[in-house]
Amino acid sequence: MRVVIGEDLFLLRDGLVRLLEAHGFEIAAAVGTAPELLAALTGLRPDVSVVDVRMPPSHTDDGLRVAIEARRVVPGLPVLVLSQYVEQLYAAELLADRAGGVGYLLKDRVFSDDAFAEAVRDVAAGGTVLDPEVVERLMARRTRSGPLAGLTPREREVLALMAEGRSNAAIAARLFIAEKSVAKHAAGIFARLGLALSEDDNRRVLAVLAYLNG
Amino acid sequence: MTTPGDFPAGYLRRLRANWPAVLLPLVAVGTRGLTASMWPDLVIVLALILVVVAPREGAAIAPYALFAYGAYGLYLMHSLLIREANSVTYGFVPAWWRPVAQVGANWYPIDSRWNQCVLTEAVACLTAGVCLLARPGALGGGPVRRALAQLRGTGGQPKTVPPLLLIAVIFLWEELFGQDLWFGTPWQPGFTPMMLVALLIAAAGGAAVMWLPRAAAVLAVAGTVLIGLIGVVSGIQWLLDPRSAPVGPWSGDTIGFYGAVPLDGGITRVFAGLEGVALVAVGCLLAPRLLTWTADFELAERAQALARRVDGLTRSRSDATETAVAELRRIERDLHDGAQARLVAVGMSLRAVEQLIGSNPEAALALVAEARETSSRALADLRDLVRGIYPPVLADRGLAEAVRNLALDTLLDVEVEVDLAGEPPMPVAAAVYFALAEALANAARHAGAGTVAVSVGHAAGTLRASVTDDGCGGAHASRGTGLAGVERRLAAFDGILAVSSPAGGPTIVAIEVPCALSSVKISSC
Repeated sequence: MRVVIGEDLFLLRDGLVRLLEAHGFEIAAAVGTAPELLAALTGLRPDVSVVDVRMPPSHTDDGLRVAIEARRVVPGLPVLVLSQYVEQLYAAELLADRAGGVGYLLKDRVFSDDAFAEAVRDVAAGGTVLDPEVVERLMARRTRSGPLAGLTPREREVLALMAEGRSNAAIAARLFIAEKSVAKHAAGIFARLGLALSEDDNRRVLAVLAYLNG
Repeated sequence: MTTPGDFPAGYLRRLRANWPAVLLPLVAVGTRGLTASMWPDLVIVLALILVVVAPREGAAIAPYALFAYGAYGLYLMHSLLIREANSVTYGFVPAWWRPVAQVGANWYPIDSRWNQCVLTEAVACLTAGVCLLARPGALGGGPVRRALAQLRGTGGQPKTVPPLLLIAVIFLWEELFGQDLWFGTPWQPGFTPMMLVALLIAAAGGAAVMWLPRAAAVLAVAGTVLIGLIGVVSGIQWLLDPRSAPVGPWSGDTIGFYGAVPLDGGITRVFAGLEGVALVAVGCLLAPRLLTWTADFELAERAQALARRVDGLTRSRSDATETAVAELRRIERDLHDGAQARLVAVGMSLRAVEQLIGSNPEAALALVAEARETSSRALADLRDLVRGIYPPVLADRGLAEAVRNLALDTLLDVEVEVDLAGEPPMPVAAAVYFALAEALANAARHAGAGTVAVSVGHAAGTLRASVTDDGCGGAHASRGTGLAGVERRLAAFDGILAVSSPAGGPTIVAIEVPCALSSVKISSC
């Protein structure tokens, strides 16, 4: 699987390269500036890319802008955005095209390399991966008013994990329950929120996020 | 309240501080000749009671009592028609002094001596009233004190012609040419159309003093010189030919007055000439000041404005410094207790791993996991810290997007309306951002609000922002340190914060900061 890495700090870039190579990814390019990154993304069309938000030349949100621009040129181009901070605004912008193949994670998540590699694969497969911190805040907003308040704590846990982009199997493993009961919870949640339950994981995540972003 | 023991000393101290009150009984005694009835005695008793019971109030009233008394003296002097010849006593001037002659059913004065005395006493009362008003702290004496300060150029006032002088000049002018304007014609005392004209002239003078101070000052100087010239001419005329009629409106049987000088055809016209010289001199002394009137006045005003500004800046600078120091201390403490401590823990874990890795790899592995967890928490601490220093979205995208992000982070339905053509300076943007963050947090925490509207706009060199919630109201800037801190922070940029929060809501927090917008957006792709 070919990966493009956009990260301006050499140590982190090098670390990412080694980490992803160790997990069997092929590094197509590892660049340090926004223009290089845009060229690599649109030119090399990698299977997935890992992009830092803050990059030269302006050292603000250049990486994010490049990711959105590249996905405009190549719809659905899988991009996993990393940052020291997660912001609701940036999450909303990344999810705006509803095309899937998007991830938005704190850089800390790289520490748990297995989960990180899994997230990269999910994004490559067209999935949506959101940082728990983003999901937590989305849930908090919607819990205050509306039908989310009526969900049981367990259902809310399941919903949060679904919003993070996890499959039924992953949710079951995380919560130490059977996959079947996850499916049952999911059906209950979707019925309560008035959403059409899709068998397809990606579509399910998008539906949940669209609902939460309300 | 004084105790009986220190009553005399305490009372005398109070009376000494309010000595003008003592003048009240004197004035009251002066009015005893007003009528033959009992009420002048009543006035005297009331005045004495006032001095004993409330000397402070008595002192406040005293100048106005003197004015009223002086005005009455002028009226008496000019009312040439005597209806009750035996009762016209004015202060210390007895009625029998007034030589009168009967014409038909009425009596008229035939000599000016009585008038001179009454006039002197009345003018003395008016002057004393002005002097009392000029005392520091006298009630309603502000204009008089300002006029004196302008004459001397003290107390932050420019050295100029006090517009209030116009009132005195108008009075002199009327005295000279239209005694009948103020007090009615001798043959028809009381209210006449001429009286109305006099009131109109006085009102016009007052209005000029209020709204056209410069014109009033010019008129006052010109009037002083003109009145003075008339006196001078009158005096010179008499010196050349003592039998000539005086220049001016005086003629016939009535006696004319020039200021305090009655013109009875004798040598008094020389005194009128001397008084004229004095008036011309005063006018000529004041005239050059008119030339510098504008410049001085503007300079003085600017100096006052600058002094106020320096006061404000000194205050906001010390506030800003204090805020900055407090902020640095908070950051230092957060770093010390948070990220720094966690990094120490990571280092210790790694050191233990070094020792264990050979003997007990499993324990070492557990320690490594722990170290990773700790470093994660250190990062979270740093993230929170940086958000509090300068929020990343504000740095990346500028104020408008940062406010939108703030709305997304708030646990309420927030309507955002931002209309900014550019970006305010970074410190201003941060101050406004944290002000809005505080207001939104308050709305979420205390107000029990459901929806909040945030608007940010810039017009006429001022950045305006407001947060309006539909909560229960009752918020106050001074209550709860959050908004007070925000207010201090904004003050460093001359910004202000206002809170309107009636009980029952809605609460509106409004912010205004003067600033220019830079046309360049923070970043563009």
